[in-house]
Amino acid sequence: MPRLRLTAVSFLNARPIVYGIERGLALANNRFDLRFDLPSRCAAAIASGDADLALMPLGSFADAPDEFRIVPGIAIASRGPVRTVMLMGDVPWEEMDTILLDEASRTSHVLVRLLTRERGLAPSYERAEHDRIADLVGGRRGALMIGDLCFSASARFRHVYDLGAEWTARVGLPFVYAAWIGRPGAVSPGDVALLQESLALGLAHRDEIARDWAGENGVDVGICERYFHDNIHYEFGAGELCGATAFLERARAAGLSTQKPVIRFFANEARSRTAAAAAPRSLDGVLADAAAGVRLSFDDGVRLHDSASLHDLGLAADARRRSLHPHGVVTYIIDRNVNYTNACTTACQFCNFYRPPGDSRVYTLSRAELAQKLQETVDMGGIQVLLQGGINPQLGLDYYEDLFRWMKANFSIAIHGLSPEEIRYLAERENLTIRAVLERLMAAGLDSVPGGAAEILDDEIRRRISPRKCSVATWLDVMRQAHSLGLRSTATMVFGFGEKSHHIVGHFDKLRALEDETAGFTAFICWSFQAEGTRLPLRDDTTATRYLRTLALARLYLDNFPNVQVSWVTMGPAIGQIGLRFGGNDFGSAMIEENVVAQAGAVFKLSSSDIEGYVRAAGFTPRRRNMRYEWL
Amino acid sequence: MSFSDVCRKVRSGDPLSLADGLALYQHPNLLEVGTLANEARERLHGDRTYFNRNLHINPTNVCVAACRLCSFSRRDARAAGAFVLTVEQAVDKLRARLAGGDRVTEVHIVGGLHDGLPFEYFTDLVWRLKAVEPGISIKAFSAVEIFFFHRLYHLSIEEILRRLQAAGLDSLPGGGAEIFSPRVRTAICPNKCGADEWLDVHRTAHRLGIKSNCTMLFGTVETLTERVEHLLRLRELQDETGGLLAFIPLPFHPENNALGDRPAPSAAEALRTCAVARLMLHNVPHIKAYWVSLGLATAQTALWFGADDFDGTVSEERIYHQAGAHSPQALAPEAIARIVREAGRVPVERDTLYGRFSPAAKQEAI
Repeated sequence: MPRLRLTAVSFLNARPIVYGIERGLALANNRFDLRFDLPSRCAAAIASGDADLALMPLGSFADAPDEFRIVPGIAIASRGPVRTVMLMGDVPWEEMDTILLDEASRTSHVLVRLLTRERGLAPSYERAEHDRIADLVGGRRGALMIGDLCFSASARFRHVYDLGAEWTARVGLPFVYAAWIGRPGAVSPGDVALLQESLALGLAHRDEIARDWAGENGVDVGICERYFHDNIHYEFGAGELCGATAFLERARAAGLSTQKPVIRFFANEARSRTAAAAAPRSLDGVLADAAAGVRLSFDDGVRLHDSASLHDLGLAADARRRSLHPHGVVTYIIDRNVNYTNACTTACQFCNFYRPPGDSRVYTLSRAELAQKLQETVDMGGIQVLLQGGINPQLGLDYYEDLFRWMKANFSIAIHGLSPEEIRYLAERENLTIRAVLERLMAAGLDSVPGGAAEILDDEIRRRISPRKCSVATWLDVMRQAHSLGLRSTATMVFGFGEKSHHIVGHFDKLRALEDETAGFTAFICWSFQAEGTRLPLRDDTTATRYLRTLALARLYLDNFPNVQVSWVTMGPAIGQIGLRFGGNDFGSAMIEENVVAQAGAVFKLSSSDIEGYVRAAGFTPRRRNMRYEWL
Repeated sequence: MSFSDVCRKVRSGDPLSLADGLALYQHPNLLEVGTLANEARERLHGDRTYFNRNLHINPTNVCVAACRLCSFSRRDARAAGAFVLTVEQAVDKLRARLAGGDRVTEVHIVGGLHDGLPFEYFTDLVWRLKAVEPGISIKAFSAVEIFFFHRLYHLSIEEILRRLQAAGLDSLPGGGAEIFSPRVRTAICPNKCGADEWLDVHRTAHRLGIKSNCTMLFGTVETLTERVEHLLRLRELQDETGGLLAFIPLPFHPENNALGDRPAPSAAEALRTCAVARLMLHNVPHIKAYWVSLGLATAQTALWFGADDFDGTVSEERIYHQAGAHSPQALAPEAIARIVREAGRVPVERDTLYGRFSPAAKQEAI
């Protein structure tokens, strides 16, 4: 097998990623050829075919192929101050008439232009050499500086802006500075595993890397260590994926990049992190670990479910929520739940919304009805429709393709549509693969996939309550395929069907493993079974305290899910609000319409100002968001 | 005053000060305040959560007080919707409940300040209800009503209470306290008796051996300081008499009244007030999560925020429902027991005076 040609940027922050390749990862030595270069040349090497894989910024693809893939799990990223991408000058940002751009990095050019523009400013931009740039700053001329230069230069200027911090404060998401990028098929799952191992070794030797770098470059070792521990992180999880997509989309909308904002990963061996086998611990020890973000084992999850008190679960989940969302912001979206048809062949026991095909109360919304709903949504500030319906045998894939194209042609609105069950049905009806259905729906305008139809991800329970609905494996596979095509989705759970703690924790465990693999879930949402009018008698605890306990456990167990929504639609706004202290960081949707749980007795309605009131009264700052949790 | 100082005082059993109360209200983490209140609750009551089987009777909604916070009252007996129950009608309500097999142990009576009824109407009401079922406990007339009787019938507070007691009155409900601050009372209920009068009615009742509850209506125009001062005045009374059984936090409900332009206090506010009350009122044995006012979900959660009592089965609540409460109007004892169990607590049926207890019947296996 020919050796893979890798090219990487030569900055300090890249060293942990290549550490294992450089040092003693025996297999890697035979598999990879590693070179270092400037970011701009890394991109050129991929474009010319001189390299197979480059550790480089996502936004510098002017020269690169249209189709690219990213090595999963590895990024150079920050969730706030980065310290090595800075705007500096003698005057404030608002007063700069020229901004000098360090030639060494193109992505940061796009970032500073974007942030400058979003502040309503329009200075002129000039390029400057990396080694001379600090000396050219003066008067109303500021400069974007990158790399280790920032460590020394930041003390010299009166006005210093950390662009990592600026980005996260504006968008609420991490910023991804670089990742391993290549053409589709360039690396095998085995190579991916080696690259991940190289990083794991590097992370274990961060302090050594900092010491060596400080010695070689005459930088204070404390600065390098703090940089590794407080500023840069190396995960490419769901939050980073959303942040990177948001950046590409904003850059494209601003005309600063032509890069398509769809990020796809190389195929990945299931690399699910499992919890370290821990010595027997007290319940308090498990809670403290969970609050600190240590991965919970299945058994510990069951233990917390069965034995931890409401307050202890809440306090741990609240601590975990705070470390993931330290700004005290609670997000929400304005969207509309459009249930385009109620005809359904699935006949789930727990549903009071569907009508069997042929029933006199069956409906499918007409274009005129849809147009009115969509226009109302746009008029009320809505940015998305949650489009879900029954399994209606009258509607084929062409119906949805036409519908999505028509929606996109006439309304500026995102389509969060079709749960895995609807997608699975289309594949069966059209005799296509799930992947082919998803590709056609995406081409027609599908933006993301809602996490419905999950109920409890346990086949035994599904056979009892919804025997005709997709199996656990199919549900997960639809989500896996969707994520691999670059679609984001949510995940849900409905409890109250008489399930036991191992079913609940098992549900979490399946979601967590898939999220490890794809990073495609943006949020988790749970609620209790709403029984009114359904054929399934309520025989289980669906009260507020069980909801709060379940929500808190979800926040702790789903350590790789960036967001947890409270479900005021089903649990009521009061408990939704209290849920913000039990792990929730998102208030869901100011829903203009909801039909499914309303039929089963949950009839709460809130406007965006109501939502903001609840959020503020709970001590948080409300922010509107889109589906990937980017602040608007 | 830091939160950790307050924690230390609570754990060593020291009474909390005004500054402590404010620190509890202002502490950013609701859950930590709740956890502390829960410690206090569990020290007093463990997992036990009390409730009773009661019947609410509102004899009249005609009321001269015209409080801005109220959605229930009619100013004039001839106004649309105005009513006065005859004693017979009131007694029939109790008979109907008992005939239905419901073992009611308490009748809770509060009503408007009607200036056209003779005092005998009220003594008769108590006497006739008691005659239906001598074992039943009559918890009737808030301090505001007792004070109104004192003025209207030119009898001392003590004499009013003695005559009602002789007719069968067992205890007083805690209503009408609202917020003791004169500034707030002027704004929301200018024609109600003042704080000193309210406290004096309860003091007198306690001296006569009549136990009582106490309340605080929060979420209108009061400041946090005014809330904590209110709690402190209740605590002083309790130090003096020991006659208070339970404190009931009552969030303001804004529908159909003259204060309706403000939002109802949030669930977070309600749970915090419950917790603060548990911590400030260390000498009042019980904190009640009155589900009619809080809503079932918040009331259930309150059982972890200092409350140890779920009130009763109620049936036919009118005052809060006129103000937009969405809770049901009655709960079966089995339903209460189930909600309490699902909260991870142990339901205990009690009598009015917390003198006799019986474990709630076990649920049927499901």
